[in-house]
Amino acid sequence: MTRQIQDAYIVAAKRTAVARKNGAFRHVRPDDMLAHVLRGTVDAVPAFDLNDIGDVVVGCAMPEAEQGMNVARIGVLLAGFPVSVPGITVNRFCASGLNAVADAAMKIMTGQCDIAIGAGTESMTVMPTMMGNKVTVNPRAFESDEHVAIAYGMGLTAEKVVQQYKVSREDQDAFALASHHKALAAIAAGRFRDEVLPYTVRSHLPDLASNTVRLTERVFDTDEGPRADSSAEALAKLRPAFSARGSVTAGNSSQMSDGAAAVLLMSEAAMQRTGAVPIARFRSFAVAGVPPEIMGIGPVEAIPKALKLAGLAQDDIDWIELNEAFAAQALAVMRTLGLDPAKVNPIGGAIALGHPLGATGAIRTATVIAAMQRGEARTGMVTMCIGTGMGAAGIFEKM
Amino acid sequence: MSRPIPLQFRIRRVAVLGAGVMGAQIAAHCANANVSVVLFDLAAKEGDPDGIVRRALDGLKKLEPAPLATADRLALIDIANYDRDLARLGECDLVIEAIAERMDWKHGLYAKVAPHLRPDAIFASNTSGLSINALADGCPDSLRSRFCGVHFFNPPRYMSLVELIPSRATDAALLDALETFLTTTLGKSVVRALDTPNFVANRVGVFSMLAAMHHTERLGLGFDEVDALTGPAIGRPKSATYRTSDVVGLDTLLHVVKTMTDHLPADPWHRYYTAPAWLSALVGRGALGQKTKAGVYRKDGRQIKVLDLATQDYRDAAGAVAEEVQVILAERDPQMKLAALRASAHPQAQFLWSVFRDVFHYVAVHLGDIAHCARDVDFAMRWGFGWQAGPFETWQAAGWQQVSGWLREDIAAGRTMSEAPLPAWVFERHAAHEAAGSWSASAATLLPRASLPAHARQLFPELVLGEMPRATHTIWEGDEVRLWTLDDADGARAPVLSFKSRMSAIGPKVLEGVREAIARAERDFDALVIWQPQGPFSVGANLKQIRPVLEAGDFKALDGVINDFQQASQAIKHAQVPVVAAVQNMALGGGCEFVMHSPRAVVALESYIGLVEAGVGLIPAGGGCKEFALRAARAAEASATKDPMNFLQSVFQTIAMANVSKSARHAQELGLLKSDDVVVMHAHELLHVARRNAIAMADSAWRPALQASNIMVAGRSGIATLEMMLVNMREGGLISAHDYRVARAAAVALCGGEIETGSRVSEQWLLEVERAEFVALLRTPETQARIAHMMDTGKPLRN
Repeated sequence: MTRQIQDAYIVAAKRTAVARKNGAFRHVRPDDMLAHVLRGTVDAVPAFDLNDIGDVVVGCAMPEAEQGMNVARIGVLLAGFPVSVPGITVNRFCASGLNAVADAAMKIMTGQCDIAIGAGTESMTVMPTMMGNKVTVNPRAFESDEHVAIAYGMGLTAEKVVQQYKVSREDQDAFALASHHKALAAIAAGRFRDEVLPYTVRSHLPDLASNTVRLTERVFDTDEGPRADSSAEALAKLRPAFSARGSVTAGNSSQMSDGAAAVLLMSEAAMQRTGAVPIARFRSFAVAGVPPEIMGIGPVEAIPKALKLAGLAQDDIDWIELNEAFAAQALAVMRTLGLDPAKVNPIGGAIALGHPLGATGAIRTATVIAAMQRGEARTGMVTMCIGTGMGAAGIFEKM
Repeated sequence: MSRPIPLQFRIRRVAVLGAGVMGAQIAAHCANANVSVVLFDLAAKEGDPDGIVRRALDGLKKLEPAPLATADRLALIDIANYDRDLARLGECDLVIEAIAERMDWKHGLYAKVAPHLRPDAIFASNTSGLSINALADGCPDSLRSRFCGVHFFNPPRYMSLVELIPSRATDAALLDALETFLTTTLGKSVVRALDTPNFVANRVGVFSMLAAMHHTERLGLGFDEVDALTGPAIGRPKSATYRTSDVVGLDTLLHVVKTMTDHLPADPWHRYYTAPAWLSALVGRGALGQKTKAGVYRKDGRQIKVLDLATQDYRDAAGAVAEEVQVILAERDPQMKLAALRASAHPQAQFLWSVFRDVFHYVAVHLGDIAHCARDVDFAMRWGFGWQAGPFETWQAAGWQQVSGWLREDIAAGRTMSEAPLPAWVFERHAAHEAAGSWSASAATLLPRASLPAHARQLFPELVLGEMPRATHTIWEGDEVRLWTLDDADGARAPVLSFKSRMSAIGPKVLEGVREAIARAERDFDALVIWQPQGPFSVGANLKQIRPVLEAGDFKALDGVINDFQQASQAIKHAQVPVVAAVQNMALGGGCEFVMHSPRAVVALESYIGLVEAGVGLIPAGGGCKEFALRAARAAEASATKDPMNFLQSVFQTIAMANVSKSARHAQELGLLKSDDVVVMHAHELLHVARRNAIAMADSAWRPALQASNIMVAGRSGIATLEMMLVNMREGGLISAHDYRVARAAAVALCGGEIETGSRVSEQWLLEVERAEFVALLRTPETQARIAHMMDTGKPLRN
């Protein structure tokens, strides 16, 4: 086993604003979003020789079609990085982006390189279904009850969590509403300003009246998901989306979104050489498996593992980005572990801000890092549940 | 050969002026008919200048019953406003004005659009109340001969009547051209009306409502009671009298009544052309009917309330036909029925007799001034108000002279609403309709039917009492089918196969008959058409005949029946002469499978087609699953991914959910009809078009499909992919365990069985798979319970 020989530090973390599916990024490809954040992240530190980047690890949950073809390498090339910079796409569904940051950190920690990027990109707009271009499942899933949950949709697993962990519809809706309120307040206060790289969306549209191509330009810099018109009454009216008598609705589930983020990591030596300033130290990352039918509970297993690796206690963490795949699972995780609600998603979560699957981990890392830069967090965690029954957690410490 | 529409009147593009409820729906129906159409309204003062039309088109999506045959028809309607787009009127051969019923507004619009109309364009107003001659006065001289009234009924897609009203100056050839377009292209049924207030249908229909209101109050009946009496119990629509007025809008009704008040001062019934006090009161407080959620009726949660005249408040609606009156209405002989109603002292019977009598009286007195002949009145009421029989034929069926005598008696005794004497012709005649034609009071003669080329396309048009249908010639008759033909040129080449079973259900004798008829067509003719003279194309398998076999547990025999079904479908598909299915109304289950196997289907727009077997716990096994597997394989071969699943997912849902199409075009969208199947707008032209298609195929190098082999199937992986959807629905409590089982059986049949993905099989293999799955389902107690429940109650069982 390779031993840790040096620490990995985060020197920049940038993301796009998150668009709703078929929203602002409707005509933007995921590889273009990726190239944009890769370039924006290296531009955020003093110029250095990009040939020194040892690897670019990119998380993507559905790495196919427009985001297939090893989207990491395509992004690297489109970003204008030297051809010497390699790229790898990793997939751990909704933890892909966090896993990419961790993989990049570990390349530094094990001395394979001293500069690396962990990133994530996902366009749910380009995917014809949540499950990619060709939905197919192994027939063996249906041969016994043991594997049938492989075929479960995520919403159904949230309903299973509701049943097992007794989460009420009212609590889910209240949690969802709070997410919107927190996100809107944060946007109004400009708390996302530093982490977001504005994206100039250029669209070539047919003007049928004049038979010409019309080029439109729009700068997209604010998350599209949060709804000012959300209310307890409106949420209570929504019908269960996955189960006849269930309580999981479109309103208390995460939104389908498009977005990308990149995190630039360096060793101490690299920082000295380039003049980059450390914002945070990468402390630990852990993944764990849980029963697929209650996949939402994954963080319950992953968080203690990550804390143990970091040598920290739960109370040491003062900012937790817990991905709100569903209010039901987020509440079940919080209650089971006794997470302090005040520390969880202080400026909103995926129900309001959106959840571009494999990009989310990198996006929320950028959020934690920005909070540290503002002096609002010392020790931060990014954690999420993962389809087919896993959890992931990563811990960062302010410098 | 003469052209059905003279070239100078060829209608390539239609403009509709006014995007109100009627204008937008007329435009929608043009889109349903594949007619290029542009919809105009005012430019919005603020925001998007096309906002008014856009909002109207948005409204079409939500309207029930749906004005659009498929959702995507909406995109076929071009959007225009008077500020920017008047020049586009120059593209249009027919311009239909459908703005608010104000003479000054209409005249203003006519002045504005007239300079932009083509010199040969037809200009028509969809007015329901204004005088066509007065409207024509607002047209420039050059336009007057090309102007007329064209009165659609709401909802225009579903109500077949269109009244065509010439002004004094309208060109006769133009009227013929427009009637042809309305009939064949839009599928409507035209009545030529005179320029009298409210024309024919509304004049008689509204009087009938006023008469009902008069007698309701006189006899102290409840509105709900009257609706129970004047609906299906006497061959009228379910909405009967008061529910209809709520649907139409009480304000609209008042408006129509006012037209009669204002314009018919000398009418013997003039004092009744006024709204009852309760009606004005409702309108006064904004209770306008359905659109304001309160009118004569009001819905309180699930409870329907009705206005009670005595208390002037709403009470629970519960009106029912008294037992004594039910007995009378059940009488089959119309003479006995009307006599019994008249003789009964029961207020409900007295009500019905009084309303019938006063409407007979009214149409007899007014026939001469409102209609060309009695046939037009009867058809107007059938097509515009959904009556099964118009007033003259009802009268005639009940015994013309007998009823005339009763009328005279009641008039003399002052029991009728008006004392106007019956015209002399009533007593000189023995019928309003005869084989030679229908009585015209104005011409004092029998008027035969008009004979435009378009009418000749209706081989079996709707008839009034006294008319004889065209003679047919039986070629061969089995227990449940008849092979017959018409004695004309097409008939010598393309005979017709009809089913004799109730609702054309398909049992063993029909299956046998289909194969025999095909054999005879192959031997003696050039083509075969399957068409039912009445009712649905087919409601599917005859469960009644199958049930005893099922209850005896004779699955071997059932397997044999299913095999016969499949072989009948295959016989249709592979016959050596083209077999054309002529479809209207329902084609369900096995009926749908026959359609799917026909080399061509000719289908009326209003056709409701579906594979509904899942409702009784079964899957299509008359070749339906096989056909879809085959089509998916063919489409996959031609696609980039070569994956049949791309073409099976939506079909699977259609079968698993037992979806039924909402129109012929929707059936094409669902894949139940082929894209080259022919949609016919007028159901009465179906047989003509089907025979022409069949003969054209026979004459134009058509060859029957060969038995398919080398069919690539989705196999086990495909089944698993569909099963994934089912697992989620079952776990989410959206479907039952048996629903799951049934749907999985469909998945297996569609995917060609539990074999490796990409395997290649034959048509016969696919038939064996679907048959095995079908018989396995038949063996389950849940499916048996569903079949029994459906037969006993007519409703599906969810188990």
